[in-house]
Amino acid sequence: MSFPGPVNGQAPADEGSPEPGAGTDGYRRLNRKCMLSMYIDYAMWYAVLLAAYILTKTYGEGFLGPYSDPVGYGFLVVLGIALVYIVAAPPVFYARYRYRITEDRVDVRCGVLFIRHTLVPIERVHQVEIARGPINNILGLADVTITTAGGEAEIRYLEIDEAETVADRLNNLIGRMLRERMPAAPTPRPGAADE
Amino acid sequence: MTGAGTGTAADTPTRHGEKIRCHPSIIVERSISAIVVLAVLATQLARGAVPATLAILFVGLVLFNYRQWSRTTIQFNETDVVVERNTLFKMKKTLPYAKIASVNINRGILNRVFGTSRLLVNINSGSGATVPEAVLTFSEDVAEGIRAGMAERLYGHETVLEDEPAEPPVTFSPADVIVHGLFSVSTYQTVFGFAFLAYSVVQVYVSTVTGAGAGGTALVSLLMFFVVQLAPSVSLIFHYYNYRVYRRGDTIYLEHGLIRTYKTSFDVSRINAVRVKRTLAARLLSRSCIEAEVVGLASGSGESLRPVLCLLKDDATQQRLLEDLVPEFVAEHARERQPEGARSVLLIRAALASLALVLAAAYPSIYLYRETAALTGVAGTVLPYALPLATTAAILAIFYATAVSYRITEFGTGTDLFTFVSGAVDRETVVMNYDKVQMVRITRGPVARLFGVARARVHLLSAVGGASVSSGYFAGSRLAAIGETVMERIASGEYDWRKNSI
Repeated sequence: MSFPGPVNGQAPADEGSPEPGAGTDGYRRLNRKCMLSMYIDYAMWYAVLLAAYILTKTYGEGFLGPYSDPVGYGFLVVLGIALVYIVAAPPVFYARYRYRITEDRVDVRCGVLFIRHTLVPIERVHQVEIARGPINNILGLADVTITTAGGEAEIRYLEIDEAETVADRLNNLIGRMLRERMPAAPTPRPGAADE
Repeated sequence: MTGAGTGTAADTPTRHGEKIRCHPSIIVERSISAIVVLAVLATQLARGAVPATLAILFVGLVLFNYRQWSRTTIQFNETDVVVERNTLFKMKKTLPYAKIASVNINRGILNRVFGTSRLLVNINSGSGATVPEAVLTFSEDVAEGIRAGMAERLYGHETVLEDEPAEPPVTFSPADVIVHGLFSVSTYQTVFGFAFLAYSVVQVYVSTVTGAGAGGTALVSLLMFFVVQLAPSVSLIFHYYNYRVYRRGDTIYLEHGLIRTYKTSFDVSRINAVRVKRTLAARLLSRSCIEAEVVGLASGSGESLRPVLCLLKDDATQQRLLEDLVPEFVAEHARERQPEGARSVLLIRAALASLALVLAAAYPSIYLYRETAALTGVAGTVLPYALPLATTAAILAIFYATAVSYRITEFGTGTDLFTFVSGAVDRETVVMNYDKVQMVRITRGPVARLFGVARARVHLLSAVGGASVSSGYFAGSRLAAIGETVMERIASGEYDWRKNSI
């Protein structure tokens, strides 16, 4: 995975040790291949949208009646906006995406129009999953899904090796946390509930 | 389980390791719905061999249920409960006491006929939050005994039996229950419900005047009113009939129900958040209610999964009950209003929503005008302008809601708790514990970025699984303090994983 260097404009990592290979602020960025994956993904959705438009124009007049023209124009506007978004979104997504895994947290910053900053304490992680669809499979990319009891966070478009490393790191952190607790845990009296 | 089978349950769960069975009435419970279906089919298809086939099917089902009952055992061990079924589809479920969140009792009509109770055992699980891990039917006294024994293990002291005196801090009269049923339903739902009722009345009136039949639309509208407004209200009244709530030690007890009765208890440490809710009607009556987010409490369905700690009561009583029942969630920190930037964001959002509404209504308005302009009388005067007028009213409502939303949305942070206040129409104050936060997501939209504000979404484990609570627009750094406080509490050791781990 290539790292184009330090990520600018971000507050420095305030605590926890950053991952090896991360920028000076501890954040890592995605591989450029994520843009290709997004373009292919968007192109497929756009093809579906285009097909829906053609079908509406061809057969829609019968059931839409007088609304046929406005619906057609509305569809064209949607197609236009979608095209602009599809062309512009992947580079913006790539430029903005950064993630950081420290000893105590997973931190993901991403978004095209809406910028999201997700914080997941390692303490709350229940499950780590690596998944890849057919397009990502061809491109050698994978998504890591981090499940907590209250919701999920994702680190997307990682190279497969990187995804495995991230998952291993998270599993190690969780495992270490649980191991540290084992000797500290009081000996449970028979049948006692956790207090 | 009246001694039938391999053991008696009267002294469970103290007699460890003994295998017992549920009360045999569950054979009837499980078969009764099939009786209804098969009886209907038999009356509709009462020809040839059909009734005989259905009768054989029914006998087969009863035998199947009998076999399931006779081969299903429950074992209360030192550290866990084991439910085992030894039929073609074998099953063995082990529920460690350490993982059990609550043990509740639930009695329906058939339970009353047979003198039984359903014991619902729930574990701390977000994925299976809405379904009890085990539903076991025992005779009433046995179920109470088992619940008391298990509660001793879970909460460290005995539960209050029915005949023991308990002193609820506040009593709820039948009138309170009715008021709660009528006015705790969301305002939007009420508006929709009464819109359907009004439409139905207009249809009936028009049909009476013109002499034509009312047609199906009036009936459908009436049905919608029933489904949207009346049924939920009546259901709430039945559900919370004879409502009692009290706390003993660290355990909160709830008892209520008319047709099906509920006895629920849970440890205060299981509460993830407390919501004080006021619908528009409730605010006009100066009343509010309290709901809790407690995981592992499944004992009903839908709304009943979220335990209500206080039915709609006057605000002073609600506050007193809150302090008595869950002082851990009484937030004494100051709350701040949204910054000036939030007003601009909300106004731009309102303007965009209004623009979208105008664009959507433009063509239908022109169409309606052309179709109705030629009409005479009141219809000819009103109908051509009905849609533009409705659009204008909706736009005014959007801007009014925006102004109210800006005024009332608040955010407060304290040492252990933080608070979100929101809701232009139905108001909600959510008090959350940092130690129960699972994930924090801060979002800055393009307009919000322009004005230097953001919104936070806090993910918690709720009674219905994972859920999130949203803030208003505040400075991103202020909202980021939620996540940072969560992390600081973990790092400093203030967070006790034994009390909070799921």
